[in-house]
Amino acid sequence: MKGTIKIVLSLTLLWSLSFASEQFSMSDADREMYAEMLEDNPADIMVGNGSELLEEYCGGDAGLAEFLNVSEDELPAYIAGFPRYLKDFKQVVALDQVLQALMSKNGHKPFALKSSDMFDMGAYAKSIANGEKIQIDVDANKHIKESYELGKLTFEQKRGSRGLSCLSCHSSQVIGSVLRTQPLPDLSAKGNAPAATWPAYRMTKSSLRTLQRRFQGCMNNALLAVIPLGSPEMVGLEVYLTQEAKGFEIAIPGLKR
Amino acid sequence: MSSRKSLIKIKPKSYKDGEIVKVSFMVMHPMETGMRKDKKTKEVIPAKYINSVKFDYNGKVITTMNVWESLSTNPVFTTYMKVNGEGKLSVTFSDSTGEVHEKSIKIKPKG
Amino acid sequence: MQRRDFFKQLGAVAAVAAISPAISFADEAKKLSGPNDLSYKAAVDAITGGKGAEESSKVNLKVPEIAENGAVVPVTVEVESPMTDSDYVKSIHILATKNANTRCIDVHLTPSNGKAMFATRIKLGGTQDVATVVALSDGTFLTATQNVKVTIGGCG
Ligand code: HEC
Repeated sequence: MKGTIKIVLSLTLLWSLSFASEQFSMSDADREMYAEMLEDNPADIMVGNGSELLEEYCGGDAGLAEFLNVSEDELPAYIAGFPRYLKDFKQVVALDQVLQALMSKNGHKPFALKSSDMFDMGAYAKSIANGEKIQIDVDANKHIKESYELGKLTFEQKRGSRGLSCLSCHSSQVIGSVLRTQPLPDLSAKGNAPAATWPAYRMTKSSLRTLQRRFQGCMNNALLAVIPLGSPEMVGLEVYLTQEAKGFEIAIPGLKR
Repeated sequence: MSSRKSLIKIKPKSYKDGEIVKVSFMVMHPMETGMRKDKKTKEVIPAKYINSVKFDYNGKVITTMNVWESLSTNPVFTTYMKVNGEGKLSVTFSDSTGEVHEKSIKIKPKG
Repeated sequence: MQRRDFFKQLGAVAAVAAISPAISFADEAKKLSGPNDLSYKAAVDAITGGKGAEESSKVNLKVPEIAENGAVVPVTVEVESPMTDSDYVKSIHILATKNANTRCIDVHLTPSNGKAMFATRIKLGGTQDVATVVALSDGTFLTATQNVKVTIGGCG
């Protein structure tokens, strides 16, 4: 019984989609204007703030490099490989969790993962890798392999009262079709590569958001129980989508509708 | 003066004396129109929007602006400026509640 | 509330995703009032001292034909001008013709700007014309107008 309902709902979902070109298509000139907005991204202010916070609480780029056991020169490429399994943590971690640990090591109370100060500092830390290609290695060890598998499962598993999964709206079959004026975005490197462009300024929210925070936004909209930031499932999702964006150049902060 | 976060950007980053450069001022400001209600409390959020902006370069006023509530939250103001020697560019703004803020950067032409 | 709309759409049999006017500031823009609420014509009269402004190809007004999001619409105005002491653009005014207060910003320039350009981002309550009025140092006024369609989504 439950199974049938799920199928019917996914069908109605497909029914309510239509192709972007039929709805409205953005002209090249429009697309160019929106691209130019990246030059003056309000999130540049937040990233600037994040740089000051990293200096104050983590000893700046040098402090972060030392904590990660790499030289400052190696830092950008190393950051481009996150999320990673780190022995000291005994788990796969995203960059913001590293910053929390470093704050705590330096005798400060760590910022909450969902605080705007952490978003700012995390965005700055990732921007150190701007221009580097994403180089996550999901075969590096069994821990990251497991994290990837958990992420893939979380992405594909239907949940919630609507029986939707991330895949329902982000599979290659529905990309580009329009759900209530929103073209469904491609989450792969060929298309859009969110992992390379988040943290980003979200224009509808007038604030800087992280990739995991964006996942929560989709969970909210699709009535999926919201998974906490930094949990194994969330880090897994980040690993999964970072693998999808592998080889794509990091450009932080992004600018999103 | 407040500690409101803001940023002045000059493009290109490196420029010569006499060059015309792009100047952007960005600030985190709610630009509240006074007509919006808080979703939870249902109370009207009081108006608070930037109403004037001034660009000063070495004490000389380059550009002034009268601003209304239709500008987006966290607004951006971009114009050009002719570099005319080493010095300081200051951006001052005030808002409808009387808050005043100033941000400045050094102007250092190369060659 | 946005979420409910979103799922109404999901469950709807109709395949067309309608352009929805439901966004908080749209209502807000309608209600805008107060000392600044000049209509478009009154605003142009106030700026030009009743002289009016002439359409000109010297004024390049750039706005998107379709705005992704009415809360953040990029606007750029560039005017052909030598920007010398004797011949320069004195001011660039940006107007949202259908917002209750049409005036968005007046930018007073000087020859020290070197180039007559101004860019910002505005809120639009709905589909409408965005206009610019430009005051030249010789006392004349130019104008340009462009329509912007505002489509608003409900996801996220
Ligand atoms: C009901 C459909 C739906 C579901 C289910 C859904 N999404 Fe989304 N997602 C969207 C839409 C629509 C957008 C684009 C919204 C916009 O542009 O404002 C989006 C945007 C995104 C983005 C940002 C893309 C970019 O351009 O940077 C990411 C990342 C994302 N979704 C991940 C997920 C994940 C992870 C899940 C599962 C937890 C999920 N989504 C579930 C509809 C959905």
